[in-house]
Amino acid sequence: MNTDAGSVKLAIDHLSAYYGTVRGVEDVSLRIPPQQVTAIIGPSGCGKSTLIRCLNRLHETLPGARVEGQVLLDGENLYDLDPTLVRRRVGMVFQKPNPFATMSIYGNVSAPLRFNSRMPREEMDRIVVQSLKRAALWDEVRDRTDAPATSLSGGQQQRLCIARSLAADPEVLLMDEPCSALDPIATAKIEELIAQLKKDYTVVIVTHNMQQAARVADSTAFMYLGKLVEFGPTEQLFERPRERLTEAYITGRFG
Amino acid sequence: MSLGLHTRRRLFSHTMTLLSGLAVVVILVPLVAVIYEAAVQGSSAFSWTFLTQRPPIACTPHLGVSCALGGVYTPFEGTLILVGLASLVAIPIGIGAAIFTVEYAKERRIARVISTTADVLSGLPSILAGVFVFSLMFQYDKPLVYSTIAGSLALSVLMIPIVVRTCEEALRTVPESVREAALALGIPRWKIATRIVLVAALPGVVTGAMLSVARAAGESAPILLTIGDGCFHPLEGVTQQGCALALWIFIGATNNAYQNWDRLAWGAALLLILIILAISLTSRFSLNRLVRRMKGGP
Amino acid sequence: MTGDPLAPTGTPRGYDLEVQHLKQRAARMGGFALQMVHDGWRAFDQGDRQLAQSVLDRNEMLDHLDDEMEHATIAFLVLRQPAAVDLRTAAALLKMTTHMDRVGRLGYDMCRISTSGKGPRESPQLRALLQRMDEVVESMVRQSLDGLEQGRIDLARDLFRQDDEVDRMHREAQRMVIAELGKNPAAAARLANIVLVSRHLERVADNACKIAEKTIYALTGQRRAEYLPRRPPRFLNEDPV
Repeated sequence: MNTDAGSVKLAIDHLSAYYGTVRGVEDVSLRIPPQQVTAIIGPSGCGKSTLIRCLNRLHETLPGARVEGQVLLDGENLYDLDPTLVRRRVGMVFQKPNPFATMSIYGNVSAPLRFNSRMPREEMDRIVVQSLKRAALWDEVRDRTDAPATSLSGGQQQRLCIARSLAADPEVLLMDEPCSALDPIATAKIEELIAQLKKDYTVVIVTHNMQQAARVADSTAFMYLGKLVEFGPTEQLFERPRERLTEAYITGRFG
Repeated sequence: MSLGLHTRRRLFSHTMTLLSGLAVVVILVPLVAVIYEAAVQGSSAFSWTFLTQRPPIACTPHLGVSCALGGVYTPFEGTLILVGLASLVAIPIGIGAAIFTVEYAKERRIARVISTTADVLSGLPSILAGVFVFSLMFQYDKPLVYSTIAGSLALSVLMIPIVVRTCEEALRTVPESVREAALALGIPRWKIATRIVLVAALPGVVTGAMLSVARAAGESAPILLTIGDGCFHPLEGVTQQGCALALWIFIGATNNAYQNWDRLAWGAALLLILIILAISLTSRFSLNRLVRRMKGGP
Repeated sequence: MTGDPLAPTGTPRGYDLEVQHLKQRAARMGGFALQMVHDGWRAFDQGDRQLAQSVLDRNEMLDHLDDEMEHATIAFLVLRQPAAVDLRTAAALLKMTTHMDRVGRLGYDMCRISTSGKGPRESPQLRALLQRMDEVVESMVRQSLDGLEQGRIDLARDLFRQDDEVDRMHREAQRMVIAELGKNPAAAARLANIVLVSRHLERVADNACKIAEKTIYALTGQRRAEYLPRRPPRFLNEDPV
């Protein structure tokens, strides 16, 4: 497992994020390795969700929101680029599955293709099938891709959202507590999926469940009150954390 | 205490039910009365010629002279053109304003300003719309003072606030998660607004549009001031004086010397009621169909 | 989140009590094993058959304590899913109790040979050396258990120095036995057992060091190689330079 400076997919550089005058993220610098799963853990309000929303420039769409610092994707500062294009390279899956309720399964997965490009039908079909396969959903929906997205269960809907994000062909996939709204079996399926996804994508997952971070992540970052406290290989962070604050949190002695 | 607590509560409950039932009756009575009266008086005028012939010359039947009944073709055509033009203007503008308010202005003050303005405008006496357009035409384009265009402009002034408000409500019912999901896919905002959010809110938007059409179809005051009086010859063009059912009802009803006009007016009234009823019911029906289809039904 | 998360709270949490409780139980098992060593030496030294038998009888209890500790520690692992220091402590306890079990077994082994050797004995000097060895070794075990229970790294670290001393005494004992075999061949049976006893005591010291190592790991996460240089093994019958 490799966190040396030579291989960095996303370099977060002195990033601060504000809601008006309130600072949600304070001077965070973090190097996210490529084709691995990086987890961000921390208590509620520590800024982890705010942080990843800065990675796909979603934070700034809120009224009064502001960002300072840089986020470099393969060396390019995302804040110098067109935000719409940034979001095609850095995809996101949300806590509560949010498929487009008025569209079918096929319609959902093909949405980024239909709205962002002109693509012939055969090509679109191919990408839809590939995305559904990559999201481990194809076998369950192969004979009913015209069915409405809302006919799927919660766990399936979340995998549908993952397929939809993958169809946009991102380089990085952000996941904001993707399993919080799901039952343990659906959660397990998605965790297994994440282990497969990291072969092709860089995954950053925010989770409040430490055991989940331990299960899926190669590296883990711990945040508290907007600041980055510690970052390192998951095994090391959970067996022998460097910071007292980290240890206090993961042993449940916080507060 | 002569009555137990339980009995008193039940009595109160029943009384309230009775009172609210009475309120419903009170509301229904005028509606039913109007429709009934129009039906009784106007149905006698209904015939094929009623719809295909033009309004007749005024006359009073007396010995030796029978009056032609004529028909309401011109007013009917006029209403269609009037409302059609007005919709063409009002609905796109209204939807556009609603999209701007909900998708772009969001929580900023301008959004509240637009909403409040629309609210105020929708409550304005409709004759003011007529006055507004009349004076506008008088100032800038005299020949158009009495014309179909002026009439439809006045109607669209009335329609826009309704479209804006109902469309706005419909767009707001679309949950934020939809926009967030679309944003995260790198879809540009304008596409999200028009091709995703608007489509998701379509049932509500359609209802709003139809509501505004129904209102416009039934308005009289603004038309009276702006449309002129072109009911007795075929309509010559939108820049010329025009005619509408509402206008004809006014003409026919206030001219009680001419019996044939009187009957025609009642027939026109009934026709108008039926048109508006048809629009309202269709909008409701299509709304349900649309909603069901979107949820994956037949 | 108000206040300093690292500030100690007034009352210890149930979790903390559980960890402390586990450590106390382990220390008690260690104490039981230590008593077996103590009595085992005395039984050998004084040829006390009754005492030796009582030690042999205690072996079953020792096994039982080991099983119970294992069970309790695994229950803690699965129910609390601990991390960091608590996880390390649980892992350390699982290994420590094995070493404590070995300490007890070594006392048991000393008792098994205690009833032989009715004839001529070893010299008083050799006996004094072994007595001293036993004292040092017993104090080492006690110290390792205190270090575990009180969470004291300094106590643990000190044991490695004492282990060197025990090693020297063991080699000295071997030399003295060889010398005495020549001068007092009739005591060969007894001297042969002395060799074994000396070795057993050296092993007990070794296990005490292992317990100390695990205590340090639990508290700091460090493994032996990080704080002690590896020394090349020495042959028993060669003097250190």
